[in-house]
Amino acid sequence: MKKLSTRWGSAFGCLVIGAGMMASASASELTVWCWDPDFNVPAMQDAAARYTKLHPDVKITVNNIAQNDIKQKLQTQLLANVTDGLPDIVLIQDDNAQRFLQGFPAAFEPLSDAIDLKKFAPYKVAAATYNGKSYSVPFDSGVTGLFYRSDYLAAAGYKPADLQDITWDQLIKIGKDVKAKTGHDFFDLDFNEAGLVRAMMQSAGKWFFTADGQLDIIDNAPLKAALETYSKLWKADIVKPVSGWSAYTGAFTSGDVAAVASGAWMTGTIKGSPDQSGKWGVAPLPKLDGIEGATHYSNWGGSSWYVFSSSKQKTTATDFLNTVWAGDIDFYQGILINQGAVGSLLAAREGAAYKASDPFFGGAPVWENFSNWLGQIPSVDYGTFTQEVNSAIQAQLPSIAKGGSVDEALKAINDRVSQQIQ
Amino acid sequence: MRSKIAHGEQINGWLFVMPALALLGIFLVYPILWSLWISLQVGKGSNLHFGGFANILRLFGDKVFLHALTNTCVFFVVQVPIMILLALVFAVMLNDAKLWGRGIFRTAIFLPCVTSLVAYSALFRSMFESDGVVNNGLMALHLIAEPIQWLTDPFWAKVMIILAITWRWTGYNMIFYLAALQNIDQSIYEAARIDGIPARARFFRLTIPLLKPVILFTSIISTIGTLQLFDEVNNITQGGPGDATLTLSLYIYNLTFQFMPSFGYSATVSYVIVVLVAILSFLQFLIARDKK
Repeated sequence: MKKLSTRWGSAFGCLVIGAGMMASASASELTVWCWDPDFNVPAMQDAAARYTKLHPDVKITVNNIAQNDIKQKLQTQLLANVTDGLPDIVLIQDDNAQRFLQGFPAAFEPLSDAIDLKKFAPYKVAAATYNGKSYSVPFDSGVTGLFYRSDYLAAAGYKPADLQDITWDQLIKIGKDVKAKTGHDFFDLDFNEAGLVRAMMQSAGKWFFTADGQLDIIDNAPLKAALETYSKLWKADIVKPVSGWSAYTGAFTSGDVAAVASGAWMTGTIKGSPDQSGKWGVAPLPKLDGIEGATHYSNWGGSSWYVFSSSKQKTTATDFLNTVWAGDIDFYQGILINQGAVGSLLAAREGAAYKASDPFFGGAPVWENFSNWLGQIPSVDYGTFTQEVNSAIQAQLPSIAKGGSVDEALKAINDRVSQQIQ
Repeated sequence: MRSKIAHGEQINGWLFVMPALALLGIFLVYPILWSLWISLQVGKGSNLHFGGFANILRLFGDKVFLHALTNTCVFFVVQVPIMILLALVFAVMLNDAKLWGRGIFRTAIFLPCVTSLVAYSALFRSMFESDGVVNNGLMALHLIAEPIQWLTDPFWAKVMIILAITWRWTGYNMIFYLAALQNIDQSIYEAARIDGIPARARFFRLTIPLLKPVILFTSIISTIGTLQLFDEVNNITQGGPGDATLTLSLYIYNLTFQFMPSFGYSATVSYVIVVLVAILSFLQFLIARDKK
């Protein structure tokens, strides 16, 4: 019985390995996993085309796999120590990176020796640095901006200049005026998304953890201010509650709400309605009130490329990333124009596309603005447990929106997370 | 000689069942035992080590777990009786031979069961948006003055999930009752009618007792199904707003795939479901046992 079952076992093992080998294919062939067919997939395909022009012997396949599926596949495969079927290069969102780097230290190839990472925005490199080595080639920046309907604001008597260098309190006043004049809510928010709170907090140079990785919730002044601002937004009655991504983006692309604070990658979604050309503007994020070190610059999302140390082609993969993603300025102009991808290669800012103005945003030099803001984003350490804290915050958002006490919410978040990360 | 034949038959018999046994062993028994072993491990990611009862102690301090448990219990305490009763009523109504078009009605009520869980969740999600079909309909009928925040209000989100799973599973249970009703001898009802028993009493005194084994069966599978509720909450509300619809299965998923993976603890939580299912099934057997 025992012998038989082990034989069965090995037979299955052979099958699985066989299937895996077929997937990982022959010599100079690279596989890449990324998730957005309007954004990072075409950008990667463009990069691949540029590299294969230089190296015709290399074939690069870009697979479009949903981000959650990528996370799950990595998590289960790395945990089971099965590397068959993994790609050579994978895209990981920055606030998730440390979880993988710390949870599976040997799974990724350190790139800081092979590639000069000083060429990239420092906060992006910091997000993928673990034990003194950096593991990623940064891709897009989640540099934040406040996208707003300039026609709605004009109807309420506000000019673009009125949104420069303001605080959140001032923005809420503007939002109330806009609602009074036009009847449109200013923002739409989803209780299952705490991105705005994170972005506000990072704009003051803080994250959920102290420098030595301890949980920092109760005495975290920027976090508290961010939650209070969140509460004020709801109290001012300028927020439309939505649930889910399509309802969230639908509210501002349809003209139902007047503005959205988000990462630069939202540009593509907003420009998806060409009939609204000239009716949009972009301002820097408002500042948190009364917080030391508060700035107008923050990050929301953004991701980077990682190479698996199990990859048989890791030298080719590294060379590919180095040649195109860390060197080709012209490539970055293309993905900026075509996909609205604000790369984090600092030199790319000197290219022509970054200098151009965009008629969709009333002829403002939005890309130049974004890349200027990019250099000023306070760098924070995302740590391992961002997901846990994030989920704990989401659990408190409905009660905060109803006017519940922020101090109690902070305590609940702190209790829940310290229980979870034990 | 005889024993040799018997011996040979024994070996043959074992050889025949061996493939099935081996598959069961690899894919059923081994994972169950292995997950029991994992549930005693603590640690993050692949750094697991033996922790004894640490995970079980952690359960009691874990507010999110208790919250998910409460939500799950609310779902099954409220939803299972409603659904069972509805299914029973539909089944009795559609069992009436004089009812016009009962084939159409049966199909219509059973049809939700063949739809994909994810597809119907996506549909419900869009229907119950604040400016979705449901709110627009209710407002047009002047039943409500303001749109109900089905997806963003903790109370209504629960109501909505219950509506969704009731829609999806009522027909499924109804089929069991219909099948059972057709096995009841019509002469019993005939005799009751001759004795002048009113319709209501025939339903409560005859139909329900005769259907008892089936009612018990459907209650148990519905209870198990509700305790494992995952697809709907994951696709409609993602457990939100603010964990209002977080279920145990969704919590297990979060512990394993969303958070820094703690496989040991999530295995422990899944054993909680196993224990709950066992206890509840036992209770239902106990309650439904014939009083002698």
